[in-house]
Amino acid sequence: MNKAQIHRIPTDWRGAAMQRRIRGRYAAERRFRLLGLAAVVLSAGFLVFLLSTMLANGLGGFTRTEIRLPVDFPRAGLTLDPARLAGPGADLALAGAGIEGATDGAATAAFGKDGDKLISDGAWLAVRAAVKADPALLRRRATIAVPAADAIDIAAKGHGSPAAEATVARLKAAGVLTTGFNLSFLSEADSTDPTMVGIWGALKGSIFTMIVTLLLAFPIGVLSALYLEEYAPRNRWTDLIEVSINNLAAVPSIIFGLLGLAVFLNTFHLPRSASIVGGLTLALMTMPVIVIAGRNAIKAVPPSIRDAALAVGASPVQVVFHHVLPLALPGILTGTIIGMARALGETAPLLMIGMRAFIASPPERLTDPATVLPVQIFLWSDQVNRGFVEKTSTAIIVLLVFLLAMNGVAIYLRNRFETRW
Amino acid sequence: MTALALLFLIAGLGLISWLTTRVRAVGFRRANNARFSSLPSHHATYVALWTVLPAALFIAIWTSTSPALVTDAVLRAPAAAQLPADRFERASILSEARNLAAGRSFGAFHPLSRTLAPAYAAAQKRYDWIGSVAALLLAFATGALAFMRVRPAFRARTQVERVVMALLLSASLIAILTTLGIVASLLFESARFFSMVPIGDFLFGTHWSPQVISASDPGASLGAVPLFWGTFFIGAVIAMIVAIPFGLMSAIYLTQYAAPRVRAWMKPILEMLAGVPTVVYGYFAALTVAPAVRDLAVWLGISWASSESALAAGLVMGVMIIPFVSSMADDSIAAVPASMRDGSLAMGATPSETIRRVLLPAALPGVVGGVLLAVSRAIGETMIVVMAASGVATLTLNPFASATTVTKQIVDLLTGEAEFDSPKTLAAFALGLTLFVVTLLLNVIALTVVKRYREAYE
Repeated sequence: MNKAQIHRIPTDWRGAAMQRRIRGRYAAERRFRLLGLAAVVLSAGFLVFLLSTMLANGLGGFTRTEIRLPVDFPRAGLTLDPARLAGPGADLALAGAGIEGATDGAATAAFGKDGDKLISDGAWLAVRAAVKADPALLRRRATIAVPAADAIDIAAKGHGSPAAEATVARLKAAGVLTTGFNLSFLSEADSTDPTMVGIWGALKGSIFTMIVTLLLAFPIGVLSALYLEEYAPRNRWTDLIEVSINNLAAVPSIIFGLLGLAVFLNTFHLPRSASIVGGLTLALMTMPVIVIAGRNAIKAVPPSIRDAALAVGASPVQVVFHHVLPLALPGILTGTIIGMARALGETAPLLMIGMRAFIASPPERLTDPATVLPVQIFLWSDQVNRGFVEKTSTAIIVLLVFLLAMNGVAIYLRNRFETRW
Repeated sequence: MTALALLFLIAGLGLISWLTTRVRAVGFRRANNARFSSLPSHHATYVALWTVLPAALFIAIWTSTSPALVTDAVLRAPAAAQLPADRFERASILSEARNLAAGRSFGAFHPLSRTLAPAYAAAQKRYDWIGSVAALLLAFATGALAFMRVRPAFRARTQVERVVMALLLSASLIAILTTLGIVASLLFESARFFSMVPIGDFLFGTHWSPQVISASDPGASLGAVPLFWGTFFIGAVIAMIVAIPFGLMSAIYLTQYAAPRVRAWMKPILEMLAGVPTVVYGYFAALTVAPAVRDLAVWLGISWASSESALAAGLVMGVMIIPFVSSMADDSIAAVPASMRDGSLAMGATPSETIRRVLLPAALPGVVGGVLLAVSRAIGETMIVVMAASGVATLTLNPFASATTVTKQIVDLLTGEAEFDSPKTLAAFALGLTLFVVTLLLNVIALTVVKRYREAYE
């Protein structure tokens, strides 16, 4: 080898070829960077598009179109004695008074032959409430705002058929159409008429289910996290526990539904579609999430705390319950809230245990048939009626507000209480 | 006495024993100014536990055995001599009488159950009283015994802590029980299914139409291959075509290019995509995406395009998976040693060349593991496909055609009104077992890959 013969020509960085090459490389750099930016922006754009679609479709569900219906009570033919309305038998008296027929009659009298088609099937409920609130109405003509029929409501919000739009224009010209806050949406349960549906039944079912889930999953999750992280000896049994917890966290949620169906319903014969079964099923699903979050939070507590407590004579149980657990609690709570938020949005396992029935009244007990918010959304989304499209999106807004609030609390807890050592 | 009142009574006894023992233990300390191994509250908890736990255990055993004792007592009553010999008829009359006695129902189908109802009520009442009194006596006795053991030198703390440890251990055993429950229930029901339908027909048959199952050959219409294909096509192909590029490029941009402020804002926003409930995605897919996809297909000249196409469900599922892929890619890129990146940059490579030629190849095992986890997540996803995919099982490569998935079929099969023992409903458990095994395998493989790769750089 003759080293002297190697001629090294220095690269001419200022030459045209090299300049072109560098320009090309820089352009590739910019393209790559833009591609990354586009991916981020588009992903965020999906989210914005999703949320804005739901908002655009659903915000209208919080308002409802009302028709100011003149009712001539003395001539309506009500079999009702105003004196009885003051006493305890008011509801019974109202029930047999024939208000429904009187309301339809008033609508026909006010708006012509098909007048009763303009008002909602539940319009008489508004009349009944008005009479109950002020029995003096029965002696005179009164104008009561009642919910409009589904077709009118949709047309007034700008999505109706031409015929309905024409009717709305006519009613608007007559000055009887108003828009009010849809209070019944927040206070009623499911119904077959989209103008009468409410979210409260499903919300109450969700609350019941979440209470059961929390009461089971939180203590069990925290205790097993403490055991695994602080006391468990390294042996085959604890390995088995660890492996099963990690696997449970990755099992598809629908499998938990099958478990709930086979074990809670078919083996233990618990009531179908009850919130207690839903809560049990979701607790099994949420528990691994809490265990994993809890273990990370416990791991983050520095060993010096444990050593200090042991050094002044605390027993291992005292070390954990007096020092480690309080310090890890913010982290555990954050994980718990995130797990609960996931459980709140879960639908598939609850369909498996029969929580998809039509439930027209809010549940009173844990064993009553109930439905939950996401399942209610699923049920409404199956309806063909245009009115339900709006109500589905409105229910989605309610659900998302709850989830956002829960995640907000979790982030606040993390920022406020979590100590970094 | 109702069970609830009894539990309250026993809890009250526990509280009283806790308070009295505590007062006594505090007295020890005053009387004898020495050091003890246990605090007064340890003594108190020890006695309270002895008061409550044996009684609670007794109540649990009693409530499960006393119905049999009650039935025995009723059968000894003179009226029971008229009971028919047939076992089923007997059981139905007895259960009617039980409901009448408990006030749960007011009408009876069989006249004999009316005559038996008073006997039932009496026996029930007698055994309830026996149980309640025994439970209270037991609580009192065990509590008193424990109270007598309380002495200054008694190591109550050791005893109490032993109970606490048992509690901790049993809490962590719940996880194993759940896993066992899942495996057992899936295996048990699937075994019943495979006793009706040959396993080969199910796993390799290509015709799926559970609406019409012939009694003689149920396997002919329960071939799950179209479902497996649909699941793979929607979850592992279409969704990943969306999720991998978007997730990977987002992770690269956010970790390598974005300013810290942008990263601090954009990362939680992307993670919100994973927090949106799947039922919302499903509704979005069915209401907005599916019609748009069909319009696109019509515009492309495919007139028969399905409004429940595989593409619509897959696209939305892909969007849902983006943050998942992104955070896995983020982790694995961050795990590549900084020296490799610095070395590449020092040699004059541009950042994008460093990423493509150094960081990504080094992080590839981690990224692949993350993608496998994402696939397992996607094929287990239910609501999007339930709401946006079709129920018709077809073997197709066309994304605009309809396709169905395993999860969608599980929901369809189990929300019908068919009786529980038919091959139709049991097929759902066989599908569930398949899904469970496949997701488990994917997770195990993915975690092994990720772990190996982490170790390589540590």
